[in-house]
Amino acid sequence: MKTLYPAVIATVLLLAAIGGVSAYTTADSLAAAGNVYVSGVTYDPGAFFTGDKGTVSISVTNGNRNQSVVIDHATFGDEDIRLTSTTYDTPSNIGPLQTRDYTFSIAADVPDGHYYPRLSLSYRDAGSLYYPAAVWVDSTPLVLAVQDIPDSFTAGKKSAIALQIANPRKAPVKNVFLNISGTDADILPASTYIGPLAAGESRLVNFTVTPNTETALNVTLRYDNGDNHHSAGLQIPVRFTPDKKDAAPVMSNLEVKNTAGAFEVTGDITNAGLSTANAVTVTSLSPAMPTDPYRSYVIGALKPDDFGSFDVTFNAPNQTEVPLMVSYKDSDGNLFTSTQNVTLPRFAAQDRQAGSGSSLLPQAIGLLALLAFVGGWVVYLKRRKE
Amino acid sequence: MTFSLFDLLFNPDRFFKNALGDTERLKIPAIIILAGAILAAGYGYLAGSLTASMMDSAMGGLGGITIVVVILSAFAGTFIFWIIWAGLFYLISKLFKGDGSLNRCLEVVGYGYLPQLFGAAVTLIAAFVYLPKVVVPHLTSSALQDPAVITAATKALMQDPAMLAYTQIAAVVSVVFLLWSANIWIFGLKQARRLSMRDAAICVGAPVIVYIVYVVYAMAGA
Repeated sequence: MKTLYPAVIATVLLLAAIGGVSAYTTADSLAAAGNVYVSGVTYDPGAFFTGDKGTVSISVTNGNRNQSVVIDHATFGDEDIRLTSTTYDTPSNIGPLQTRDYTFSIAADVPDGHYYPRLSLSYRDAGSLYYPAAVWVDSTPLVLAVQDIPDSFTAGKKSAIALQIANPRKAPVKNVFLNISGTDADILPASTYIGPLAAGESRLVNFTVTPNTETALNVTLRYDNGDNHHSAGLQIPVRFTPDKKDAAPVMSNLEVKNTAGAFEVTGDITNAGLSTANAVTVTSLSPAMPTDPYRSYVIGALKPDDFGSFDVTFNAPNQTEVPLMVSYKDSDGNLFTSTQNVTLPRFAAQDRQAGSGSSLLPQAIGLLALLAFVGGWVVYLKRRKE
Repeated sequence: MTFSLFDLLFNPDRFFKNALGDTERLKIPAIIILAGAILAAGYGYLAGSLTASMMDSAMGGLGGITIVVVILSAFAGTFIFWIIWAGLFYLISKLFKGDGSLNRCLEVVGYGYLPQLFGAAVTLIAAFVYLPKVVVPHLTSSALQDPAVITAATKALMQDPAMLAYTQIAAVVSVVFLLWSANIWIFGLKQARRLSMRDAAICVGAPVIVYIVYVVYAMAGA
């Protein structure tokens, strides 16, 4: 019996020692649990797309000034917002006026709407704490809108396009990246990194396109909502149509001179368009062969309604018509060309061959006159002799 | 001595019987030739302008010089032809024992040139009508260094339809009025060189026929 006492006393002392951390619901512990509250909830991302994964970080604060609380178990979620990480199963202590964060990974595999998944905390010495933390599921994508585009596109001409990128969502997105591509077109810049875009914010992106053929520009906007990748797209058709404001050099007052072994064409070029035509140049095309002194003639810049004279020389053996090419550049240096056929004077030799029948007439008249003269005198002399 | 324009043109035998005095008088024949030379100079101006514009783009001052040269050549050429015709008739008539001075031949040829004044006037009018329509080849300065190019340019000028039409009209007109002149010259030469009508006709007819055959041949070859 004497040997049993020490064991009993040790057991009591051990139980007394353990009693500080063991679940003994008392009035004090219940009062202490009442002063524990959720001081903050942070979702990342701030708003979920359907199917997005993310995290929620919940701050729990112990409002007691001189008493700790022990949290045995913490979990988060409900039947809509699914918990994808593990729960907090190890008891943890929150000291007086201390805050502890509980972070959970979640998945939002639900349609758009407002959801209220719950934080569930189990106290060791009291009941539990339940806290519904509101979250938005919103699948509205970022908006891509064309802000400025030319009335028409022209092959080889550089055109400027302005795009607006807007975030109509309730939360910011990050890593916004714009990429533009198109078949047989030069695009500058083809990629633009925009970075984060706050909720309700918009950004203007300018780029230029030089299409060589009719095509469609594929505009792709990539961005991250939290760690989830998303994208938005836009297609801009590029069709070649006459630009109403383009320069329009028109050739007129043409005069063709048949020079020795060469032709010389003089004329005027008037800019009948609404833009300035720069570096206006005139030259002859095949089958004509440009010759000195005016293989090509540079008029220079022609403002709308201005005109300039030109003079080109070329060889064109056995040709009745040759094309003249007018080239000019717009303010961006894009080269434009137009051609106009010029009828050459007919060849004298051809005319002569064509009219060779009629060319005998004057010779016949001359010979007849001569014969009449000779005959007349012969007759006159004979009669005079008789 | 009387001078009847009508007789000169339509009855030259009577004209020369009356007009030719004891001594040669070249004043009126020279005036007729002078009138012909002035008309020829007018034609020369038009033809020279074409040639000048052909070369003007190569050398600015060359065109003016060309016009002056062509006008002077045409003017002097009429007087030279006067002398040539008279010299020819004089030499040929020597074969028929013609008797009379060279000045007398010049006098006769000068009078006989009158119909060709009308011909020259008609030719000048035709030149005013046709020559402005000619498309003139223009020689560049580099082309002037190449004789083949100059030949090609001249050929192109002469084969222009308007130029061809003009040269044919001018040739026919010159032939017709030359024959009229030849008719007058025969009667004049008969008086001037005291030849028979037959000999005078041969003296005048032979060179004239040769000349006209040459003109017709040149027309065919043009």
